[in-house]
Amino acid sequence: MKKICSLLFVGVILLSTVSCSDDESIAESGPITLEFDNVVGATNLQLNTTNTPYTNAKGEAYKLTWLTYYVSNVKLKKADGTVFEDPIKSDGSAGYYLVDENDAASQEITLKNVPAGDYTEVTFTIGVDASQVDQGAQTGALDPAKGLFWSWNSGYIFLAIEGVSPASTETENVFQYHVGGYKADAASSQVNNVRTITLSFNGDTAPVRAQHEPEVHLLFDVNKFFNGTGEQVTFSTNASRHSPKACETLAGNIAASFVVDHVHAN
Amino acid sequence: MRTAIVFIIGLFLFGCGSEGISPADTAYVFQQPSNFPPATYTFENNPVTKDRFELGRALFYDPVLSADSTIACANCHQQVRSFSDPVHKFSKGVNDVSGFRNAPAIQNMAFQAHFFWDGGVNHLDFVPINAITSEIEMAESLSHVVTKLSRSDVYREKFENAFGTGEVSSQKMLYALSQFMNMMISADSRYDRYIRHEGETLTADEAAGMKLFATKCSTCHATDMFTDGTFRNNGLNETFAQDSGRARVTESADDRGKFKVPSLRNAELTFPYMHDGRFRTLQEVLNHYAHSVKESETLDPALKQNGALGIVMTDDEKAKIILYIKTLTDRNFTNDKRFSNPFLN
Ligand code: HEC
Ligand code: HEC
Repeated sequence: MKKICSLLFVGVILLSTVSCSDDESIAESGPITLEFDNVVGATNLQLNTTNTPYTNAKGEAYKLTWLTYYVSNVKLKKADGTVFEDPIKSDGSAGYYLVDENDAASQEITLKNVPAGDYTEVTFTIGVDASQVDQGAQTGALDPAKGLFWSWNSGYIFLAIEGVSPASTETENVFQYHVGGYKADAASSQVNNVRTITLSFNGDTAPVRAQHEPEVHLLFDVNKFFNGTGEQVTFSTNASRHSPKACETLAGNIAASFVVDHVHAN
Repeated sequence: MRTAIVFIIGLFLFGCGSEGISPADTAYVFQQPSNFPPATYTFENNPVTKDRFELGRALFYDPVLSADSTIACANCHQQVRSFSDPVHKFSKGVNDVSGFRNAPAIQNMAFQAHFFWDGGVNHLDFVPINAITSEIEMAESLSHVVTKLSRSDVYREKFENAFGTGEVSSQKMLYALSQFMNMMISADSRYDRYIRHEGETLTADEAAGMKLFATKCSTCHATDMFTDGTFRNNGLNETFAQDSGRARVTESADDRGKFKVPSLRNAELTFPYMHDGRFRTLQEVLNHYAHSVKESETLDPALKQNGALGIVMTDDEKAKIILYIKTLTDRNFTNDKRFSNPFLN
C-alpha cells in the first residue's frame, strides 16, 4: 500500500510539472463585456420617478420601482462557428449574473479568458434552470439571501419587475411580476419559464484579443416586455403575479425584449 | 504552482497515512441502510464531516434563527417524536402565529425527493429557507440571520472549523443544517431488524398486520420507506378549500387535495396525523380509511374500488395493522445522543 502510494505520488508530481509547462502554450485570450442596458422604447429607464413617465401599449401610464433578472449560460460564437461557453460552477459562484437596475456595476458582465477571435453572436439564458437548482444551496449571484428565491415552491425568480400605474387595482396601484418556474417534467403540469436567447451582432464582430476588450451593448426594452407575443399586459387585471403558471405568458415576452444595439471593438 | 504541489503532497500524506477510519469517526459518516433506496441528496457538493454536522446541530437547536430569537427548529421538530411536533395541531411560530399545517417528522431526509406536504421544495438545502423566512414560522430574513451569526464569536469559530473560513454565508448555514438532517436516519426499528434477518421476530399478530398492510396500504405507503413519494388524495375532504395541497405548487386543478404520501416510520410517535393534524390516534386514522373516506374529483382510485369508498377492514384487522405499524418505531433513533440538544449537555 505504502509503495503504491509513493509511486503514485511521484507520478502526480511529474504530471503536474508537465501540465505546468503547458501553460505557456495556451492560446491568446482576453476579456469581453456584455452590457445590459434597460430602456423604455427610446429612453433610458429610470426607477422611482416621482410621476409615471412611461406608457404601455394599452395606453396605461406607469413607472418602475424595480427591475432585475438572472443571466446565465452565456455562449459566444465566432464567425467560424466555434463556441466559447462561460464556465459554470455547481455552487453558483461562477457563470450566473444578477442584473439589477439599482446597481450599475451589475449591468456590465465581463467574461474573462475568452479565446481570441472574432465573435459574431451571443446566446444567454434568462433564469436558473433545473441542472443548477438541483445542486442545492448556492452562493455568489445565486445566494438566496439576495431575496430572489421562492421558498414555498423552491426555485429562483428569473425576472422581477415592479412599479406603479394608476390602472392597477392593487393596493397603492402597484404591479409586481415575478417570473420563475423551472420544474416542468413529463410527470407534472408545471411550466418551465427558463428562456434562452440567441442574438447576432447584426453583421458586426467583437474582436477578442489580449489587448482588445470589446463590449457588446444589449438593450432590454421594458415596453417590449409589456407588449409581446406571449401577452399584451394591462395593469388593470392580475397585476400581482408570483407563481410559475401566472407568469407563463409573460415569459413568452422575454426573448423579444432583448436586442443587440451595437458592438464596441475597443 | 507550488501551492498545488504542497496540496497534492498533503492529499497523499493524508490518504496514505491513515489506515482506515477510527470507530469514533464512523458516527459521522453517512451510512446507507441495506434495505433503503439510494440517497437522493447531493453529497458530492456537501460531504458530511463531524464539524459541519455539529454546526448544523447547534443551528437546529438555536432560536437565533428566528426573528425574535424565541423559536428554534427543534420547537416544532422534537426528537422524542421523531422530530415532528407533538404539541400543536397547527405548528405555532413567532408571536404565537398559527401555521396551517402540522409539522411532519424529520427522518430519512437524505432519501426523499420532495419536501413539505405539497412537495413545493425539491432539495433539502432549501427547506430551512422556508422555515426561517415564513411569517408563520420564524419570520426572519435569511440575510439578517447571516448577519446575526457573523456577529457571534462562537458561530464564527464553528464556521471556521466546519468550512475552513469564519465567513458566514447562507450557503454554509444551509449545508450545515442539511448535514445534521441527512444523518438523521431511522433504520433500526424491530421491523428493520426482522426484514434484514438480524435476529428479530414479529409476533403472530404483527406478522398478520404486515400481510394486511401489504394488500390494503402499500399501494401508497410502499417500499421500506413506507411511501412511494407521490402525491395523492386520501379522501380527507370534499373541497379542500382550506388547503389545496399539491395544487398550490403545480397550479393544476388535477392536483387539488393531493398531499405527499408520508412515511409511516415512527408513526406511533408522530401524532397528530395528516397534513392538518386532524387525527390524534392511529385508531382514528384506520377508522378514516374504513368508514369516512370522502368523495371528490381527485380522490385516489385505490380508495374507491368497485364503486365503494374506503378500504374494507374489520376491527380485528385494523388492530393488527396498528400493531404492525408500531414495529416501525425506532427508539434508538429518538434516543440517539448525536441528535439531541447540544445546549443541554
Ligand atoms: C413553527 C414551527 C416550525 C419551525 C420553527 C420549523 N418547522 Fe420545519 N416544518 C414545520 C411545518 C408545519 C412543516 C410542514 C410544512 C408544509 O408541508 O407546508 C415543516 C416541514 C419541515 C421539513 C420537511 C419534512 C418533509 O418530510 O417534507 C423539514 C426538513 C423541516 N421542516 C426542517 C426544519 C428546520 C431545519 C427548521 C429550522 C430552520 C424548521 N423546520 C423549523 C414547522 C416548523
Ligand atoms: C391512496 C393512497 C393511500 C392508501 C391506500 C393509504 N394511504 Fe395512508 N396516507 C396517504 C396520504 C396521501 C396521506 C397524507 C394525507 C394528508 O395528510 O392529507 C396518508 C396519511 C397516512 C397516515 C398519517 C401519517 C402522518 O404522519 O400524518 C397514516 C398513519 C396512514 N396514512 C396510514 C395508512 C394505512 C394504515 C393505510 C392502509 C389501511 C393507508 N394509510 C392507506 C395515502 C394513502
